[in-house]
Amino acid sequence: MDFDFTDDQEQLRDAVRKWVDKGYGFERRRGIAKAGGFSREAYGQIAELGLTGLYIPEADGGLGMGPVEGMVVMEELGRGIVLEPFAQALIAGAVLSGYAPAALKAAWLPNIASGQALVVLAHQERAARYDFEKCQATATAAGDAWTLDGGKSIVPAGDQAEAFIVPAMAKGKLALFLVERTATGVATRGYGTQDGGRAAELTLKNAPASLLTLDGLTALAHAVDIGIAATCAEAVGVMDKTLSITVEYMNTRKQFGVAISSFQALRHRVADMKMQLELARSMSYYASLKLNAPADERRRALARAKYQLGVSMRFVGQQAVQLHGGIGVTDEYIVSHYFKKLTQLEMTFGDTLHHLGEVSSRMQDTAGVFA
Amino acid sequence: MDLAFTPEEQAFREEIRAWVRANLPADISHKVHNALRLTRDDMQRWAKILGKKGWLGHGWPKEFGGPGWNAVQKHLFEEECALAGAPRVVPFGPVMVAPVIMAFGTPEQQKRFLPGIASGEVWWSQGYSEPGSGSDLASVKCRAERQGDKYIVNGQKTWTTLGQYGEWIFCLVRTSNEGKPQTGISFLLVDMKSPGVTVRPIVLLDGEAEVNEVWFDNVEVPAENLIGEENKGWTYAKHLLSHERTNIADVNRAKRELERLKRIAKAEGVYDDPRFRDEIAKLEVDVVALEMLVLRVLSAEKSGKNSLDIAGLLKIRGSEIQQRYSELMMLAAGPFSLPLIEEAMEAGWQGDFPGGLAGDAPLASTYFNLRKTTIYGGSNEVQRNIVSQVVLG
Repeated sequence: MDFDFTDDQEQLRDAVRKWVDKGYGFERRRGIAKAGGFSREAYGQIAELGLTGLYIPEADGGLGMGPVEGMVVMEELGRGIVLEPFAQALIAGAVLSGYAPAALKAAWLPNIASGQALVVLAHQERAARYDFEKCQATATAAGDAWTLDGGKSIVPAGDQAEAFIVPAMAKGKLALFLVERTATGVATRGYGTQDGGRAAELTLKNAPASLLTLDGLTALAHAVDIGIAATCAEAVGVMDKTLSITVEYMNTRKQFGVAISSFQALRHRVADMKMQLELARSMSYYASLKLNAPADERRRALARAKYQLGVSMRFVGQQAVQLHGGIGVTDEYIVSHYFKKLTQLEMTFGDTLHHLGEVSSRMQDTAGVFA
Repeated sequence: MDLAFTPEEQAFREEIRAWVRANLPADISHKVHNALRLTRDDMQRWAKILGKKGWLGHGWPKEFGGPGWNAVQKHLFEEECALAGAPRVVPFGPVMVAPVIMAFGTPEQQKRFLPGIASGEVWWSQGYSEPGSGSDLASVKCRAERQGDKYIVNGQKTWTTLGQYGEWIFCLVRTSNEGKPQTGISFLLVDMKSPGVTVRPIVLLDGEAEVNEVWFDNVEVPAENLIGEENKGWTYAKHLLSHERTNIADVNRAKRELERLKRIAKAEGVYDDPRFRDEIAKLEVDVVALEMLVLRVLSAEKSGKNSLDIAGLLKIRGSEIQQRYSELMMLAAGPFSLPLIEEAMEAGWQGDFPGGLAGDAPLASTYFNLRKTTIYGGSNEVQRNIVSQVVLG
């Protein structure tokens, strides 16, 4: 039982923080959001730091690191509310490394690690909500070749990605496939998202696909859990910064002749924000440290974590805006952008009520971290 | 980073578990697991069993006869005791006054008082709060006047938990009115059998007399019972408050009670009602998050790092959770928590409880009783002041 970071992990944190502070300022971010919500150049800079290969084995051109390193990076990107969907590099790296046949790994892992290929998970369908097996996309085999039909929604940076990891029903069973964006029968319709980022609707019509694994349910559940852990860590970074922005504002802003940080009604709300932040940080640690646990244990833990994070994110975001007063609801001032990021993260990889349901249905007679 | 305890810590846990299983009397754990009334004898019996093993002062260093465990070992010990259904150790002697005597007492005072605390023979009480000094503890008025080789104590303490059993009491007394209120306070040990000490139980909303008023009327206390220097008592009291930071969260008890809540909900037929079940699920996450917070503080202590910014959160969250599980237990029973049948809260009662589940008898009483948790030990509003001070400056 140990929650200290190693020196290497601290160095990793410093490197990412330095890039965020110097290379991803508020004005650059605003520019990227205006230009569509995704910058290949910024994504390339993240790749230059080696981060896109974090979960990819060294033999395949990556860093071969684990969930704690992933968490550290996500926290720092969260502090800068970075728009580029870096969590997708973690998911794609881990899912391909863990489940794909050798040829597919060889073709994609080095390019994901180098940042040349952005591969994103395209698993959401309108009718399925969070039920993986309600998938309507279908896969058809002709010899070794597969084609996919169907549609996926809100695919991160979907019209910018090189390829998609797509779940589809193959002979009544969920399987995972890799689909290239430029393949025939693949169409995307891109749009901006509430946090300033980018997503797309994906349509597949008789689109050629490579089989990633026939055990799609296992791999997809794992992929989503990696996404949840990454989202939790990112949210901790966003909340940490949201609180420090709020504290700075409260110590500067004067009303009735004094700094508003002197008012007890407001101070107690800050204490409650700190509480939610630290409960969230605790559960983010929990999520990442349970990421390599057996599937059942992992699922239960990740649902607990995302529930806590959802509650915390909504509270911290709403209170930050309220404590800022009028300036908090303007586009010009930075805090509203943190609030919108938190709101979007609450809805990413399962919203709060969904995860409460997961916790509820997976409840056991025992209680606690180790139960 | 690692969530798992080390093999050595696991082995330690197993050792504790085996010992507790072999030594905790079944009649006592039955009462604890079912929230039945514990007697003075129950509490002291368990204290003496621990004392004999040398574990009543389980947080004590070796030089004072303690086991010398680190923060994690202490946590594991407390967890195993709580999960097995051991009564909470009455903290005033071994957890509160003993560390002060160790840090600031003379060798004579240590020799005189510590053995009785370690063995569980002597029952200690706490004399801090007064009618006019609750959250504002530094305003205490209970006065101790030096006359030769003794102090004459006059005044009143209140909220003295289990003071009706107390043999000794440690008090914050006013020895000077000069300077800031904090600088005129002394830390005095008083024999409760002294002439002029009167203990009057206060009946609480659950009908129990858990706390007391303690009156001092010209009570003579030998000057040798003063801890440290006169007028430095506030410093010693703060030292006391800095001890056992994780203990106040009571997360181990919360885990035990959450398991009990699930059993109650099943017995009451509401466990599969989604509305009720989701409330338990929320509490389950609350308990896991609190446990993670506790483990983070322990880990920081293990590696000698400062965890002050999060330790202040433990009391707030822990007390809220205690109130919540007791609330849900009562709600699970619904109207069957309403009959007030005193005898049904005693072990071995064989009567016919309205509705048929005798386990419902103490649920409302526990709910009422635990309202205290957000008030005592520095009210949660005072705790929020402290937390916001750390965050906002």
